[in-house]
Formats: sequence, structure tokens, C-alpha cells
Amino acid sequence: MKIKVTIIACMLIVLGGWVYASSSVAAEPYNLGVDLAITGTGALYCKDGVDAIKLAVGEINAKGGFMGKHPVKLFIRDSHTKPDIAVREAKDLILRDKVRTILGTYSSACAVAIKPVCKEYKVLHIPAISNSEGITLTHFSPYTYQVVPNSYMQAKAVVLGVAELAKKKGWTNYITIASDYEWGRSTQQNTVELLKKFAPNLKLKKEFWPRLGETQFTSYITAIMAQKPDFVIGSVASKDNVAWMKQAKAYGFFDKIPYPGSLISVSELILQAKTLTRGLIGLCRAPFFAHLDVPMMANFVKNFRAKYNRYPSDWAVMEYDAVYALKQGIDKAGSIDSDKVKDALKGATIDTTRGKLFFRKIDNQLSCSSYIGVVSDDPKYPFPIYHDLVEVKGPDSWRPEAEILDARSKEK
Amino acid sequence: MDASMIFAQFMSGLSRGMMLFLIASGLSLIFGVMNILNFAHAALWLVGAYFCYTFWYLMQGTALGLWLSIILAAIALAAVGWIIEVVLIRRVYNRELSEQLLLTYALVLVIDDLIKIVWGVEDKLIERPPVVADPVFIFGAPLDSYFVFVIIVGFGVAIGLWWFLKKTRYGHIIRASVYSREMVSALGIPIPRIYTGVFAMGIFIAGLAGAIQAPVGSITLGMDMAVIIQAFCVVVIGGLGSLLGTFVASLVVGEVYAFSILFWPEGALVLIFIVTALVLIIRPWGLFGTPVRT
Repeated sequence: MKIKVTIIACMLIVLGGWVYASSSVAAEPYNLGVDLAITGTGALYCKDGVDAIKLAVGEINAKGGFMGKHPVKLFIRDSHTKPDIAVREAKDLILRDKVRTILGTYSSACAVAIKPVCKEYKVLHIPAISNSEGITLTHFSPYTYQVVPNSYMQAKAVVLGVAELAKKKGWTNYITIASDYEWGRSTQQNTVELLKKFAPNLKLKKEFWPRLGETQFTSYITAIMAQKPDFVIGSVASKDNVAWMKQAKAYGFFDKIPYPGSLISVSELILQAKTLTRGLIGLCRAPFFAHLDVPMMANFVKNFRAKYNRYPSDWAVMEYDAVYALKQGIDKAGSIDSDKVKDALKGATIDTTRGKLFFRKIDNQLSCSSYIGVVSDDPKYPFPIYHDLVEVKGPDSWRPEAEILDARSKEK
Repeated sequence: MDASMIFAQFMSGLSRGMMLFLIASGLSLIFGVMNILNFAHAALWLVGAYFCYTFWYLMQGTALGLWLSIILAAIALAAVGWIIEVVLIRRVYNRELSEQLLLTYALVLVIDDLIKIVWGVEDKLIERPPVVADPVFIFGAPLDSYFVFVIIVGFGVAIGLWWFLKKTRYGHIIRASVYSREMVSALGIPIPRIYTGVFAMGIFIAGLAGAIQAPVGSITLGMDMAVIIQAFCVVVIGGLGSLLGTFVASLVVGEVYAFSILFWPEGALVLIFIVTALVLIIRPWGLFGTPVRT
């Protein structure tokens, strides 16, 4: 009898030990890929994005990882802002590093290029910087979730403001200048189409398409000034935008021609703090100062500043949100399986630094806002921010579902 | 469209052309004298921009900070060029063009990584001093005052190079070595030293061009790859090795680009490549080059 009791007791101890061990040892790590432009045209935006991802991953790992048991392992790759390299790196991340999600991307051309790769390998893809509408509009991938206001949403936000201004000021014609690649083309096209709808009296005089990576805009500046348009709408990307703004200012361009609603992100506000023309009406995607009342944003800004000794840009905000969107998808799914997470995120409402937002079911686009404001100095910051900020909500600016279905029905 | 705006367009084309000339002249000089096609020329140009940033950063707030930085950056890069010639380039003088290209392309990769290590991947921005912050008006046409400086430097370098090669003893030796290295050697003049000097001079001009480019926009990795293509277009149109050709081709490319933006913006870049292709077909040695050189 004694022997039997001893054996049972030993078995219970061994079994208990095994159960304890299996519950306390960390489960499978979660390999998270990042495919961003560490170098090339997009480096200005992506450095902040990568830093924000590292911050978010650090916070999550401090609590044991996803679901408290899957430590997140980061694999960061440089797309060089080139679609072919972005695809190569995405494949390598998937096949060699076995990542379950790829965060990124810059540029939109890279996002469009890696979308089918992620779909083929059933890997989640969360673009947080590149925002061409084409990423989610056509050739839809259920694995792609966009946490940045897309080019249509941004264009509509600009158009609503510009149409109002045109009416007030009696503007009749305009010129566009946009970087000659996926995002620039998509944004310009959406802006022009929407202006036709909301301000049919406005006439597009001319379009300018500087190549991505242009360093000297003088010929564009003088050519635009020669046309004497009532206003100009610009969609110039990243470091090209810095060069464009700097050179246009040196020509007195902004004193002569209104330039409403061009992309001036927090990166540009910080980088050109001393030189940026005050009073410009600019557009941005996720300015931290618009949501400091949201505890998640306040914490993020505090932690980002503590870690990197600078303020976060729009790109940092959105990449940070991308990591937490993924986390909430995993929590909701109760699994790290990409198919289950994908299903869990469908239509899900999530907490972000920009408040509670939801993914629209038809295109997995987050209901995030676009922001328009006047570039102004603010005593609280060592760089100008936006005053008179207007927040155009996602559901007020995104493309109607009927048009999405129509566009998809015409897909080849 | 009034005449002053056409003139403004001409001036913007001129400034673009001068910027291209500054980049391409060093490339052309090195090829013309040494027969080395330096693929790393634009990468070194980019290093010149970063050098300028560093010197400017150290001298921020001083009245002559930017101007001194431009000169110091060019000198520092010339020193780098000197070392590269002695350590690497000298060893491939008599090798095939493909091997020279391979070596200089490897240099591009090394330089890119070194830039990442030294300066990081963040964009760098140089603030212009107030004297070149506002536009100037020439015959009523607006022009970025900094580009007036670019145009002056471009013409200065062109005249300086012409004077140096045509009017000085050292220039005569360099030109003689183009035609017969053996003869120059036989006269007791050390060819390797001449070549080192020429290479350093070419890189000095690249450094000057990079430093001058630095305050135009932001300084960032990858800028060099966009520039090298147009620089090669210029030397192909002008004729590899011909400084006069490089000068004329720079002006042609700058003005073609500027006026096509005014009248046919979609075709601006295409036109440059069409001109380059036409020259390659009709006159493969370029407008001012020579057909065969041994």
C-alpha cells in the first residue's frame, strides 16, 4: 500500500512539474518582419517608423510578448525604396526568417509589389506609411490591413478644404506637382477627380511629374510660376518634398502662389523648423499633437521622447499603431496563427494612439483621420505645428463602398 | 507667358547645367587623362556633401560657416581621392574596362556603408545663410540666389580648368601624358604622381559639387545613384574625356530639361535620354570627343 501511495505521489509530482514547466516557459516566439526604406528616398520617414516599432515591441516583450507568452523577435530589412528589393526582402523574411507579419512599407510601389507575396504565403501585411489607395482598392488581399489614411482619403480631405477656399477667393485654375510614382500618381489622380466633383468650375492647367529622387526643382518652380495659376496642389514625397519646399521658398514661390494642402508631415515640421514658411496650409497623416488627450498617445510620446530624445513623426505614430493593431488582432484571435489573426481583425475596432478606430470590412482600411492645418509657431515646441487643425474623419473621407465594388468588377 | 519667365526658365536650366558640369567635369577629367571610368564618382560626390554638413555643423552660427565648409569639404575629399588612387586605382591602370568598373563599383558599396556608419541613415539638412535665402530678380525674373552662386562657381571651375590645362606647365604635362605616357616618362616625369594629382583634382571637383549641392535640399543616402546617370549622359553627349564637351553637354542637358519641363513636362527626362541615344548612334565618341584613343 505504502509503495502504491509513494508511486502515485511521485507521478503526481512529475506531472505537476511538467504542467508547471510547460505553462511558465515562453511559447514559440513571434517573428515580426519589417520591410522599410532604411536608405533611399524614404529614409527620412522610415527611420522614425523603425524606432517606433522597436519601442512598441520592447513594451510588448516587457510583458512577455504577444498574449503574454510569445516574445516578439524583430527582423528588419532595408527595401532601399525599390520595389524589386522590397519583394526580395519580403520573400526572404517569409522563407528564411519565418515571419508571420510584415510591417512597412515605403513606398506605395513597394507595398503594391509585396502585397501578392504576402497573400501567397498567407502572411499578414500592415502598411503604415505607404498609402496609395491601390494597396487596398483593387486586387484585394485579405492579409493586408492599412493603418494609414489612404491617398483617396487624404485627397478628399484636401479637396473639401480647397473647394471651400476656391469659392471664397474666386480661384478658377490650378496646377499640380506630384512625385512620379505610385503614391504621387494615385494622390494626384484622386485629387483631380474629386475637385471635378466638388469644385467643377476649377480648371486643371498643367500637371508636373518630377521623378522620385529629384534634387533640383528650379525648372519646375519657374515653369509653374510662368503659368501663373491661382493655386498649386503638391504631392511631393519625403526628402524630395524637403528639397522642393526649400527651393520653392528661395524663389518666393509661396509668397506669390497659394499652395494649400500639400503633405507637410511632422518630419518636415521638425526638419525645416527654421525655414518652413509660416501660414502654409498643410496636410498630415498622424500628428501626435492632435491626440495628446488620448492616454495611449500621451504615453507613446513620453516614451518615444525618453528613448530617442525627439518628438515622434506621423510615421512613428502609425508604425507604433501597426504593432498594437497586430497585438490586438492576436489577442482577439487567441492565437498567433496568421489566418486566425486576419479573421479577427476583419471589421475589428482597435485602440490606437489616435483613439478608437475600426477596420472597414470591404477593404481592411482603418477609419483613421486626415489632418489639415496652418503651419504656425507654438511656444510648447521647438518647431512649428499646425494651428486651426481640422480633423477629417476616415468615414467622412474614404471612397464609398459602391465605387470600390465597381473598381473591383473592372479588374482584369 | 512673358519674356521674363522664359528668361527665368533659361536661368534655371543654366543652374541645372552648371550643377551637372560640376559633377561630370571631374569624371571626364579622370577618364580623359587616366582612361579610368570611375563609377564611384557620384558616391564620392555624396561624401563631399556629408563632409560639408559636418564642417557646417561644427561652424554653425559663424558668418562664413557654409562657404568655408564648401572649400574644406572639397579639400578633404581630394585627400580621400589621393589615398584611393594610391591604394586602389593605381593597380588597375592597365586592366580591362570591366575590371576598372568592378573595382569602382565595389567602392560605391563600401562608401555607402561607410556613410551609414559615420553619418547614420537620417537625412541631414544645412540651413542657408541669409544672404542666399531670398530670391534675386534679374530682368524681372526670379532666381534662387544660391543658384547664382552655383552658376558663378560652374563658370569659375570651367575657366579654371581650361587655364590650368592650357596655360600652366603642369597642365601641359598632363595633356602630354594623355597622348604618350611613355614619352612623358622618358623625360623623367613620374607618371604615377601625375595621375595621382589628376585623380585628386577630379575628386576635389566632385567634393566641391557635392558640398555645393548640400544646402539645396537634404543630404541623404541614395542621392548619388540618381545623379550618376545624368552625369554619364553628360559625358557621353560631350565626349568622354573632353572638358569642353562636358561643359557644352551640361548646358545642353540643363536647358533641354528646363524647357521641356515648361513645354512638355512629361517628356523632360525622356528627351535627355533620346539626345544621349542619338549621340551614341550618330557620333559614339560624343560631340567633342575623339574616335579612338590608345
